[in-house]
Amino acid sequence: MGADRGIHVEVSGKDYESLGPLQVSKIMAALAKKEEAQLIILGKQAIDDDCNQTGQMTAALLDWPQGTFASEVSLDGDNVKVVREIDGGLETIRINTPAVLTADLRLNTPRYATLPNIMKAKKKKIANVKPADLGVDLTSRLEVLRVDEPPQRQAGMKVETVEDLVAKLKDAGKV
Amino acid sequence: MLRCYRHVKGFLKPLAETSRRRRTSAPCLSEDHIRRFISENTEVVVGRSLTPEIQLKLFTPNCRFWTERPELWPFTDPYWAIYWPGGQALSRYILDNPGVCRGRAVLDLGSGCGASSIAAKLCYAAHVVASDLDPVSAVVTRLNCELNNVEPPVCVTDDMIGSDPAGFDLILLGDMFYDEALANRLYRWLDRCIKTHCTKVLIGDPGRALFEGHDIRKLLHHVAQYELPESVREENYGLISSHVWCYQS
Repeated sequence: MGADRGIHVEVSGKDYESLGPLQVSKIMAALAKKEEAQLIILGKQAIDDDCNQTGQMTAALLDWPQGTFASEVSLDGDNVKVVREIDGGLETIRINTPAVLTADLRLNTPRYATLPNIMKAKKKKIANVKPADLGVDLTSRLEVLRVDEPPQRQAGMKVETVEDLVAKLKDAGKV
Repeated sequence: MLRCYRHVKGFLKPLAETSRRRRTSAPCLSEDHIRRFISENTEVVVGRSLTPEIQLKLFTPNCRFWTERPELWPFTDPYWAIYWPGGQALSRYILDNPGVCRGRAVLDLGSGCGASSIAAKLCYAAHVVASDLDPVSAVVTRLNCELNNVEPPVCVTDDMIGSDPAGFDLILLGDMFYDEALANRLYRWLDRCIKTHCTKVLIGDPGRALFEGHDIRKLLHHVAQYELPESVREENYGLISSHVWCYQS
């Protein structure tokens, strides 16, 4: 999409299984310091764990301002103006950089990578880094006790006539 | 004249349809086959670049391979199918400064679609050699020369980097600093060319991170800057302008 280079932080095995927002935030914070980043942009909430924590934790670890649930972002010198999607409507804030932003669905319409950029991307460097190289401890502070699947949806029944339907509903005590 | 191209990955559909047996051995493809394949898979693009006066057969969003799976492309990566912003700036500079090429022996290194060679020809260069490792680039360059009514340059597929460039007054490099290993080889070789033959080197680059951070950058002087048209910016996210640099002793 036009980035100059990438960094792949390799996490595997048990560390990968127990990786959560706290660990990712620590990695992000360490990288931000190392690369002297001015802006960190993250998703607001992942669909696997629904945590909505990584952006906020990263900002806290770095002591940076945060603009979360951003549906509009504009840079203005050393500041960023962020319009946030909140329950009550839209909130506009101005924060200093460096800052952490988390993206809301309405931030933009995703584009496809163009062929020229795909071809150039093949030649761009992706550095491989281990969390230990960044001085990050990935030990989880959480113990997952249980994961239950939602109850199986029971199969329905087909009826031929409206009378049948009423009879079945009476049987089930619904009418 | 039949030319054989053995640098083929996968298989070429029309060829496979005519002979199943040939799929198992390296197919030998004629220039005509390749010309037809190129014409079927590119569009003639006029305008939408820094050099609207040069027509080129390129990939556009209307072409199959703009969105097709890359592994189905039967040749090496088609760098010639894109008019790279670095090459655009270089060609623009040549056309705007015809004295640069007039009467000179010019080497277009990494010629791709051949645009810079065409620009040099249009400015009455005495002799133009278009060099590209990809043999399909040579076919495309000849096609593009026909489109623009210029005599084709001499097309070579040998790796010129490292060779002795005696006989060239000017070396053109359009958007060649996108790979670190290649950039380092170019740097060492160009340095020798300049020191031993006083060759002039013109480099077109849109400000790629690798180029901006490379040692060679410190030895160049800036000769031109062009703002990229909107269509080029859309196809090359992150690039806004393209520049021409001169490397001279």
